[in-house]
Amino acid sequence: MHLVVCAKQIPDPDTPPSAFKIDEATNSVVPAPGISPILSQFDGIAAEAALRIKESQGDDSKVTVISMGADSARAAIKQVLAMGADEGVLLNDDAFEGGDSYTTAKVLAAAINHLGDVDAVFCGRQAADWDMGQVGLLLSEELNWASAIIAKGVEYGDGNISVQRVLTDGFETVSTQLPAVVTVSNEFGEPRYPKLPQIMAAAKKTVTQFGASDLGLDPSDVGASGSRLKVERLYIPETDSNVEFMEGDTPQEQAAALVQKLQADKLI
Amino acid sequence: MTHDATVETSSNTAMTVRPKSSSLLGAWWGPAVWISATGVFAGTRASDIAGRETFFNVAQPWVVYVFLAGLVGLLTFGFVRHASLWMIGRPTDGILKEIPARLRNVGRYGAGQDKVRRDRYAGIMHWCISSSIIVLTVVTAQVALQDDTPLNFLHGNYYLFFSFYGDLFGLIGLIGVGMALYRRYFASHHRIRWDERVEDHLIIVGLGLILVTGFVVESARIIETELVQHPDWAKWSFVSWVLAQGIDSFGFSVSSPENPQSEILALHTWSWWVHVVLAFSWLGLIVFTRLDHLIFAPINAFFLRTDAPGRLAEIKDIEEQEVFGVGHVQDFTWKQLFELDACVRCGRCTEVCPANISGQPLSPMHLIQDLKGHLADVGPDIQMHRHATGDAGREVSPIAMVGDVIKDETLWACRTCGACVQECPVLIEHVPTIVDMRRFLVMNEARLPANAQAALENIEMRGHPWRGTALERTTWMEGLGEVTIFDGTQDYLYWVGCSGSLVERNLPITQSVFKLLRESGASFGVMGQEETCNGDPARRLGNEYLFQILAQQLIETFNSKNVQKVITNCPHCFNTFKNEYPQFDGNFEVLHHTEFLAGALEDGRLKPKYAVTSDVTYHDSCYLGRMNGTYDAPRQIIEMVPGANLVEMQRNLSRGLCCGAGGGNMWQEEIGERRVNHVRTEEAVSTGADQVISNCPFCIQMFEDGVPSIQPEEEGRIKPFDVAELLEAAVFGPKTDSNPTED
Repeated sequence: MHLVVCAKQIPDPDTPPSAFKIDEATNSVVPAPGISPILSQFDGIAAEAALRIKESQGDDSKVTVISMGADSARAAIKQVLAMGADEGVLLNDDAFEGGDSYTTAKVLAAAINHLGDVDAVFCGRQAADWDMGQVGLLLSEELNWASAIIAKGVEYGDGNISVQRVLTDGFETVSTQLPAVVTVSNEFGEPRYPKLPQIMAAAKKTVTQFGASDLGLDPSDVGASGSRLKVERLYIPETDSNVEFMEGDTPQEQAAALVQKLQADKLI
Repeated sequence: MTHDATVETSSNTAMTVRPKSSSLLGAWWGPAVWISATGVFAGTRASDIAGRETFFNVAQPWVVYVFLAGLVGLLTFGFVRHASLWMIGRPTDGILKEIPARLRNVGRYGAGQDKVRRDRYAGIMHWCISSSIIVLTVVTAQVALQDDTPLNFLHGNYYLFFSFYGDLFGLIGLIGVGMALYRRYFASHHRIRWDERVEDHLIIVGLGLILVTGFVVESARIIETELVQHPDWAKWSFVSWVLAQGIDSFGFSVSSPENPQSEILALHTWSWWVHVVLAFSWLGLIVFTRLDHLIFAPINAFFLRTDAPGRLAEIKDIEEQEVFGVGHVQDFTWKQLFELDACVRCGRCTEVCPANISGQPLSPMHLIQDLKGHLADVGPDIQMHRHATGDAGREVSPIAMVGDVIKDETLWACRTCGACVQECPVLIEHVPTIVDMRRFLVMNEARLPANAQAALENIEMRGHPWRGTALERTTWMEGLGEVTIFDGTQDYLYWVGCSGSLVERNLPITQSVFKLLRESGASFGVMGQEETCNGDPARRLGNEYLFQILAQQLIETFNSKNVQKVITNCPHCFNTFKNEYPQFDGNFEVLHHTEFLAGALEDGRLKPKYAVTSDVTYHDSCYLGRMNGTYDAPRQIIEMVPGANLVEMQRNLSRGLCCGAGGGNMWQEEIGERRVNHVRTEEAVSTGADQVISNCPFCIQMFEDGVPSIQPEEEGRIKPFDVAELLEAAVFGPKTDSNPTED
């Protein structure tokens, strides 16, 4: 059984607000000095889901982690390898840059087709930087596979995958035959802490790199030139707040003053 | 904190609680002087004919030598059996280096019983018993020499003196036994009964009987040979002399030419046999019971580490290891296995353990005993397996040492505060053993509490353990004017640390230290954005690999910037730089801020001008105090703050109780009845002080967290401050708008 995990390296969401800067001229995020990019947390959870299935299936199963991104994304790939994935693939090409969810799905699909024998793909429910949550679904369209998104539980048996999905008002369980794409949510649980022997084994593994031509992609179909989404303006919204303390000698008087104030402002 | 703008004379109470220095002779010098004087006195008193027939009235004294041979055989057997178990451990580095220091330790902790005396009652009791055993063994050996060698010295003055000190130490032994019996059978809830076994009764009751029968033997002889004939000799055996008169008053028959088989002679014979059989049997207990500490404790004093107690051993060539950390008993060093045998189950470690005090699942004594039991269970099989196959035999044990024998939560409850190590009278080092097993959990098994994992991941990803902080490493600099970035031209690097820069509460402390350093005229710089975790939490949580990477990187950075002297905010950074970085050739002169500030006060570079009229108590952080012995510098600072009155807590100095955050517990959920910081906060509150002063950002955070739970009313709460904050108030005065960074 061959499982693929799609992993994205993102700017650290824990970047202190004061260090988060945007270049409004180019509509892009300025990398914060001294703060390294990290593996999107949801993708770590997707890796955990894939690894649990791999472990339940025995030795002839393998997990390949794929990341599209800059050379620095090797760190994210190594992290999933350290968790126990078997192989790593980096999709790196100038032509891939500046794309949107659609072109990303297109490149990932080409890579998965290139690998050939993939049974299931696991993605995070969304990348923790742009939070769009589209690549998984678009990927299943590109591959023409079934999909089940926002999973809190995944089980596999006899060629069927059963996915417990998080809905806004509860859960539902769906099942489908493989191949399929599953996106995994944080309700699934924490990703494992890598064991040192695996960290050291991961450090020794080589990451395969593919570009557009390796995957048979036309550079004009991917990246900025293939992108359907255009960012008009990227900015940090200004927020403002005023605090007013309600005067009054007793809690009752304060409450009355509050009601008056809210009514005056037409809030109640 | 109240501020008076006038200078007041300090009304501090003088420090009366400094740790006592220890002499090499420890518990022995006083009695030795006293007894020698008595010996000289005896020399002036008697005629040279005083003496007695050794082995008087005993028909087969040679039987003693049969017993002795049996005992030696038994001891040898026992030792070989123990040693074969220790030897399944890994090699111990450097055990034969620094021999003079090791011999001093044998004198101080073995002969001097320095640690035993930390509990005064037990110290007196133990000295009574041990000195009595040693002296009476020498007394007995002299009898043997007199009787069975050509030497002839038991006569005259020396005989009288010999009679005297023999009796004296018999009495001292009985006093010790009495104290022990009281503790074991009458004192309520005593720690020595936390793991009580049959052997404990045998040892103490047996020893009492040996001493009593010894006196009976001597009394019987005195009735027969001295009471009437040489009463002036008999008085030197002052205990037996009294006892002899007591026995004699019953009117038992005494031997005479007409009546050679008297009742007193029969008493003598019987009590002699009972005494001898008991004595040899008791010594035989050494092989089977905790009485083996007679031998193992002084040897363990020799094996005691000679380097800093705050240093954890490095795993050399970590990438080459088959297994990381210790998850199997044979992966301990043989010294760690040897230690297990030295344990006497006295419970002192558990009594002072912050986790145990708070009802959390760790008792260092039981941990050591469980490991000892496990070694005895599986050690012989491992040994046989090794002989047969030559492999490490990690599959031999049917149960997991880490997980089954020692539970995960036990290992995580440890604060690495070192209180157990500090108290252990037989010099067991629990903390490195616990951390070795944590290393196995983290690196080999990846089994660790979620919050600890998050802290480690955060260190890996972000270079600090404070997940989700909204602060930057430069935030504290705001409003301080020019802050010099260290470039190698300054004398000191002021190392702020992650907690000093990324945790809101600690920013004022960092700023206080900064302002005081600037005021003192010191030439210093900071690293700002370039600082990163130095690895201490990773090491204490068991991720040695991560620690080594961080340490090596930071040492490279320090060297490239030509850092020579470092002042740290935090005692944990201090300990790591000072004691652990030398393991990786990072040698820097390291000061904790309290040490630097105390020095600056002493030579007048800082002048406390404003009174801070307040009762303060001082909390010794484990890593500045116990681990590095810095108890005085912070107290000196407090003493020099006008108006500050220091009130010590019950547990202070080397007995200080951990705040609860040590050993990576800052980032763990506590399991158990209480939280350690609540216990410690309660102790601080009970002093009645207005402020609890410490020197460590973790301690301050733990107090800040603990105070509202212990004092729900906001009015009159004790306020946690760093020493530097207190000193800042005394040097710069009350906080005003001109000091906008102070609140």
